[in-house]
Amino acid sequence: MGRRHARIPIGAALAAGVACAMAGGAGSTPQAGGFAQALSPRAFAFPRDHGPHREFRQEWWYVTSNLEAATGERFGFELTFFRFALAPDAAPDAAQRPVSGVATPPPSSAWRTRQIYMAHFALTDVAAGRFRFARKLSREALALAGAQAAPFRVWIDDWSLEAAPSAAVKADKPAAHAPGVVASGATVSGATWTLRAAQPGYEVDLVLEPLTPPVLNGEAGFSRKSAEPGDASFYYSIPRLEVRGRLVRDNHPVAVRGLAWFDREWGSGALGAREVGWDWFALQLNDGATLMFYALRNRDGTRDRHSAGTWVEPSGASRPLTSEQVAIDVLDHWSNARGTRYPSSWRIRVPSLSLEVGVRPVLADQEFRSTPTYWEGAVDVSGTRGGAGIAGRGYVELVGYAAERSSPRATGAKALLGR
Amino acid sequence: MNALHQAGVRHLLRHPAQLALALVGLALGVGTIVAVEVATESSRRAFELSLEAVNGPATHQITGGPRGIDERLYVRLRAQSFGSSPPLFAPVLAGYVAIGERTMQLVGVDPFAALELAGEGRAPGVPDPATDGLDTLRDWLTEPGAVVMSATAASELGLATGRRLELLVGGVPRPATLIAQAAGAGPGLDGVLLTDIAQAQEWLGATGRLSRIDVRLPAGAPGEELLARLRMQLPPSLELRATRAQLRETLAMTDAFTTNLKAMSLLALLVGAFLIYGAVSFAVLQRRPIMAVLRALGATRGQVLGLVLAEAAALGIVGAACGVLLGLVMGRGLVGLVSQTINDLYFVVAVREMSVPAVSLVAAAGGGVLTALAAALLPALEVAASAPQLGLSRSVLERRALHLARSLLVVGASLAAGAGLLVWVSGRSLLAGFATLFMLLLGVAAVTPAALRALALAAARLSVRLGPVARLACRDIAGSLSRTGVAVAALGMALTAMIGVAIMVQSFRESLREWLIQALRADVYVSAPAAGEDSGRRLDPEVVRSLLAVPAVRTHSESRRVVVPSPHGPLDVNAVRLAPESYAGVRFTQASATSAWREFARGAILISEPLAWRLQLAPHDTLTLTTASGPRAFPVAGVYREYGNDRGEVLMGLDEYRRLWDDDSISGLGIYLAPGVEARVAAGVLRAAARGRQALFIRSNADIRALSMRIFDRTFVITRVLYWLAAGVAAVGLVSALLAWELQRSRELAVLRSLGLTPRSTALLVLAQTVFMGIAALAAAIPAGLLTAMVLTEVINRRAFGWQIDLHLSPAQFLDALWLALGAALAAGAYPAWRSARAPLAPGMREE
Repeated sequence: MGRRHARIPIGAALAAGVACAMAGGAGSTPQAGGFAQALSPRAFAFPRDHGPHREFRQEWWYVTSNLEAATGERFGFELTFFRFALAPDAAPDAAQRPVSGVATPPPSSAWRTRQIYMAHFALTDVAAGRFRFARKLSREALALAGAQAAPFRVWIDDWSLEAAPSAAVKADKPAAHAPGVVASGATVSGATWTLRAAQPGYEVDLVLEPLTPPVLNGEAGFSRKSAEPGDASFYYSIPRLEVRGRLVRDNHPVAVRGLAWFDREWGSGALGAREVGWDWFALQLNDGATLMFYALRNRDGTRDRHSAGTWVEPSGASRPLTSEQVAIDVLDHWSNARGTRYPSSWRIRVPSLSLEVGVRPVLADQEFRSTPTYWEGAVDVSGTRGGAGIAGRGYVELVGYAAERSSPRATGAKALLGR
Repeated sequence: MNALHQAGVRHLLRHPAQLALALVGLALGVGTIVAVEVATESSRRAFELSLEAVNGPATHQITGGPRGIDERLYVRLRAQSFGSSPPLFAPVLAGYVAIGERTMQLVGVDPFAALELAGEGRAPGVPDPATDGLDTLRDWLTEPGAVVMSATAASELGLATGRRLELLVGGVPRPATLIAQAAGAGPGLDGVLLTDIAQAQEWLGATGRLSRIDVRLPAGAPGEELLARLRMQLPPSLELRATRAQLRETLAMTDAFTTNLKAMSLLALLVGAFLIYGAVSFAVLQRRPIMAVLRALGATRGQVLGLVLAEAAALGIVGAACGVLLGLVMGRGLVGLVSQTINDLYFVVAVREMSVPAVSLVAAAGGGVLTALAAALLPALEVAASAPQLGLSRSVLERRALHLARSLLVVGASLAAGAGLLVWVSGRSLLAGFATLFMLLLGVAAVTPAALRALALAAARLSVRLGPVARLACRDIAGSLSRTGVAVAALGMALTAMIGVAIMVQSFRESLREWLIQALRADVYVSAPAAGEDSGRRLDPEVVRSLLAVPAVRTHSESRRVVVPSPHGPLDVNAVRLAPESYAGVRFTQASATSAWREFARGAILISEPLAWRLQLAPHDTLTLTTASGPRAFPVAGVYREYGNDRGEVLMGLDEYRRLWDDDSISGLGIYLAPGVEARVAAGVLRAAARGRQALFIRSNADIRALSMRIFDRTFVITRVLYWLAAGVAAVGLVSALLAWELQRSRELAVLRSLGLTPRSTALLVLAQTVFMGIAALAAAIPAGLLTAMVLTEVINRRAFGWQIDLHLSPAQFLDALWLALGAALAAGAYPAWRSARAPLAPGMREE
């Protein structure tokens, strides 16, 4: 099959799998198959764009956070919601076509849908040396799972990220903006979100308060993943959200607070043909600045030139970073029981910012073993900026390391999902 | 002891025919038990597997009334936070579909919930992104009419993946596509057609509804807590029960049926026991001289007893082993009959795989060996007790046999009295009913030798005029009880069972026929093929309108058949709005029709006989049913006769039902035609009116009666098969005993011939004797069979199902028994007759 080797747009490995599965031998480009494409910058508006973009194939809401209890105990968590469409939404379709001779076509079931939601919830309990994860998969039907802009809410079952009731009132007047212009902080950073998720042993019930307005990554929120026109997405982040709330560990509640990072991305494409995965860094420095950078890895081990990042000053001013501006040295590796080897300690240098930091996982094993398997974990940051010492925390995501088991042929869903 | 055993083994080996016949008898007995066990167990197992095939690891189920469960309940449960060890839920909507001639269970599931509940890789047929990739999931959710079936079912239907097929859902044709086959899914899935819950809702006309919610709770205390919490949240019309309990309840429906089968199989072993007794006692008698010598040489009583019992045990082990093998083979044949009956009467089950319950095999084999030992005990004790002298002469032996026959007469009488007493005291126990039956049969067997002798002596007196030979023949029979008594007793018992069962089946059939004539008042009946599992059959309201608009329709009754939950488990409810003519179709066995109908009109219910029996209800009692708004006690206005449903049913007013269950569907119509319109013609017109919209069963009154009778006959095929097996065992026994007897007296026959009897007369003499014995057994069996029929109808059937059956007698019921008696007798006599006629005289005489 002439499918290109398309591996996982950020996090949504499953969505990419769908993309490939749907491409079904239709030439070398993972064509949109009726989906909208991310081809050029667009106008962002909030809270509208917090909501779903069903015309695109895939989409995700990504929260990562470092938390601390009053006792100083440290935790990290990831809660991600993925939406992906198995087929473009259509008007009442062939399934409802009346059968010739049958008097009454059956009424349509509320379970009918082409939209699927997946959620990942991982928790790092540093003191206990535990990393725990769980997954949910559901259909967008009967409010079992879904996403909406106003009031903002994305959920599967009882896992949710949603606007707190008071914020919902403010959010009901979305305004459109020119490309690259971010909505004023008044509507966004005033919004309060609640986040809830549970898995055996751990529950989180948290309130999130954005400290910065959304930051548009790439070209004003348009993020290219390869030279191919369709291989792109719309991508924004809220790099700093204040978190307060409760974590329940083995039925014992612990009050926690900390910082979270919110990432949003949607599109219909995949990675470039040569790309096999990426290393994503989201670092929150204690002077209020944040650094996001994703290094797209090529099959030959080199970094793809479409790798990019965003630097956000404590003031909220942001600037894009190109691949050439960021140097990353891997200092150490960690291998899982199956022998998959992940980088696990880095030195990141951004000479244009006079920034040099070391990044180190708080726990070596933060591998999310599911479909797909990837490493996503809390990290510590320490180094210098402009000669002065600086520290911070963050999250790192390493994708495309664990899938090497599958046969080279299985470039579609099986490669990504096969276990 | 070595010498003793060698003597025993050599003796048996010198008489291979005798050995073989005893083995055949035992093997048939054990084999029948094993076959019934295998057949019933396989059917049960197949049903269990089909339940487990979908969401097998569910620990509990939430079920509702006739309309199932509102899907919003599922959404509410899902959205709740249950903390860190939450229960797992999966929705199921099940029904039935037909693919060509084949009925399959349609199971609509949500793949995400099903996989979460079952665990990855444990929900065969459900698309699992982790193992199947996403193509299947995409097809499952986006392909119109996407279905999945097991690879076995697909190959049987000749379907390849990707092929389109047409389903009949509730009689309505629906296009579907086989998007995948579940490979290696196990036989549980072979009768199942999996589809998405959305598709199932649309096909079954049940949008917004679920048949059940499967629940998986964690083990131990957290599970108990969650269970209590869930119970509090459920509306009163829903039930949350352990999956095992649910399964047990469904299987319990077939309990009476399987008990009956097992009792029939036990009968075969019992007959087999007589054969062993015959064979062993014969072998012992033949060796009396040797035994006596052995005793004289110093063998103790214990040693002799041990020898005989060891032989019997060896015989038993070999026979039981053969029986187990035979049973496994017969089981394959029987399983079709058993599952057909279960399909006709209880639930849809497709048996794909034989289950061989090891415990039952061991029990059946052990039973065989014990039977052999028990059968040998009497002759063994007898020979061990004899004095260490040269064997008894025949005359002493026969005197003993005569004595024994007389004491057996007493035994038989006491057994019969015991049986009567047991019926009296045992109340409702079905097991005691069967004990009664067996006591009665044993009683018949005990009485038969004495009856044989009496008959033979009487015949001898009567046959004086026929000449000395006839007289001799008769006296000879009377004088050979030690040889022939047991075989005739076994035959008598088998014939008794045969006559009893034949009368019972015939009476049942007649009662059913009369009931059908009375109950089916309308000219044409309309019903939909079952689609939904709980909501059963449903007529399209549009179609109903056009049917009733047909000019030939004068008036009609409407009915809604549903299964309703109750504290006693699910109950069948038939909610009716009757045409005036239909009231006469209900025949009350308790309460007067006038008062019962008056109360019925006021919201009371009527219950059928089996339900009244099972729940021990009588008029003026109340029965609680779970309505849409929770449990409600209904007064019982009357009990009526109904043979259609062995679990019983509730008859209630349709308006009352609609009000309480919020369900306005109709599942059947009874149509009365205008005068002069022929039912067959009208059925054609009605069929034309529904054509293309819903495939309905539109049958004339006569067709339904014929169909009911056909199903009835099919149901009793197994019974017939089993009694022929028991009869076969008896026939083999008679053949073996008579053969041995006739061969033994070749000297007497030689003497007769030397006195001038022609070979032809000799042959006739022998045949006449065996036929006489057959007729003697039949003579004993006829009154006993009548008694047995009464026990079967009044005790067994009543206790098993609660039915009252009117006894119907006809000569035909005795014909099978007559043929068997004559056939066995002629078969037994043919060879000795031929041989005695042709045997040269000298060697026969030389024995002297």
